[in-house]
Amino acid sequence: MKRQKLTTLTLGALVGALVLFLASCSEEEFNPSLTREFSIQSTFNGATYKIKVGLPLDYNSSGIKHSSIYVLDGEENFDFVANHCEEISDRYSVTNVVVVGIGYGNDRELDYTPTKISPTTGGGGDFLRFLENELVPRIEQEFSVDTTRNSRAILGHSYGGLFVACALAVNNQLFGNYILLSPSIWFDNEVSLLLEKEYRERNRDKPQLVFLGIGQSENLGRMQAPFEAFYQTLRDNYSSISLSKNREDDLDHMGSKNPNIIKGLTYYFKNR
Amino acid sequence: MKTSKYLPLLILVLAPTYGFAQREPAASPKDYPTRELTIEPGIGIHTNFGTDLLLAGLIQWNPYKRLSLASHTSFNINNLLQRDFNYIKTDYNYSFNQKFGAGTTFYSRKSTHTLLLMIGAKYTAFKETVYNPAVDKVSASISALSPDYGLMYSHKRGLKKYFFTGRLYVPLYPWPVKGSDINFVDGNINNIALEVGVGMKVK
Repeated sequence: MKRQKLTTLTLGALVGALVLFLASCSEEEFNPSLTREFSIQSTFNGATYKIKVGLPLDYNSSGIKHSSIYVLDGEENFDFVANHCEEISDRYSVTNVVVVGIGYGNDRELDYTPTKISPTTGGGGDFLRFLENELVPRIEQEFSVDTTRNSRAILGHSYGGLFVACALAVNNQLFGNYILLSPSIWFDNEVSLLLEKEYRERNRDKPQLVFLGIGQSENLGRMQAPFEAFYQTLRDNYSSISLSKNREDDLDHMGSKNPNIIKGLTYYFKNR
Repeated sequence: MKTSKYLPLLILVLAPTYGFAQREPAASPKDYPTRELTIEPGIGIHTNFGTDLLLAGLIQWNPYKRLSLASHTSFNINNLLQRDFNYIKTDYNYSFNQKFGAGTTFYSRKSTHTLLLMIGAKYTAFKETVYNPAVDKVSASISALSPDYGLMYSHKRGLKKYFFTGRLYVPLYPWPVKGSDINFVDGNINNIALEVGVGMKVK
């Protein structure tokens, strides 16, 4: 009886400790005094997006025009990206950027996919027009940011990475820097590869920085080969590109996201 | 991914183990299905939507009643059901795991419950090819050796020479070694292994 009680207590304590440990693994919030928030409704798709803007520490004092990074899936990624931009720019003694986290207005699957293969896909064109004509102009009007193509970057993961690949292909004048993490290049029979090919002549000589990241353990038969195909097509066809890729050891689709964000941002700050 | 997404899963995984340990009253020593050495082949799946087929075997040696030593081998044919998708062909995709472990066994009237801490290595190899006629054909292959450690629960039911066996393995690598970020648990959850088979008492 005594032994059974001891076993019960031990197992209970183990479960409790694990639950407490998991619960403590929350992400650190970006400095609220440097965060601005607003909502913006798109006239292209009718959705309202909650925007978070993370400012550099020296934003008010320096008077310089900062570069900007637009972060897809902003509700999940804004704090992590903003914190690491501050840390990495500080480490390499380079000017920090304004981080723009784009929250969800529609289902992410709708906003980040380029073609309609189901009722919940194919809104990527409208979302890109929203960025180009509404969000980016508003950011550049209200904040002290550089308004040139080369000063703007966009970061996306999974379907967000697919959107970044399509933005690179079809509207290359909007952003000069692209961070694609585990991009869903497989979507709709690799339509993003076809778009890249279609618009290649127009884009191939423009300067661009591209970082591609993926998890080594993403082995569901759809991620690795299209990722490699996108990397090779950029490497072989773009003359003025600054290009890098990273496979994060032993990590899967979600697990590789944050390590690849750090590597992507590091590559961006060192090479922009 | 938020912590809350994984808490119910974790509790779901651990609760049966916790429950088994409490449920059955202690049996008298003569009723214990004691076995010193068993061989337990089995088949299984990973919890990544059940698309991996596992061919596995456990050898367990109990030199003392409460001490269990084990060797677990598993050959996994991964992503078995979807080898051709959107012009992406899987040329091959497999992994091989070998682990050794130690733990303890709880006894009840007709079954035993063993908890083991397992440590070993995992070799993974896969290759994919994009063959979309509209773009260049490109392949990507991965070949990687990584640590593999975690917790195994092994259930044996039956008193005779041959008995039913079921196992649950929860990998702990790469989390928390790569960091405490909850996102890392993604791969661990995908690779939780569930196995069933028929065991044989050797001694």
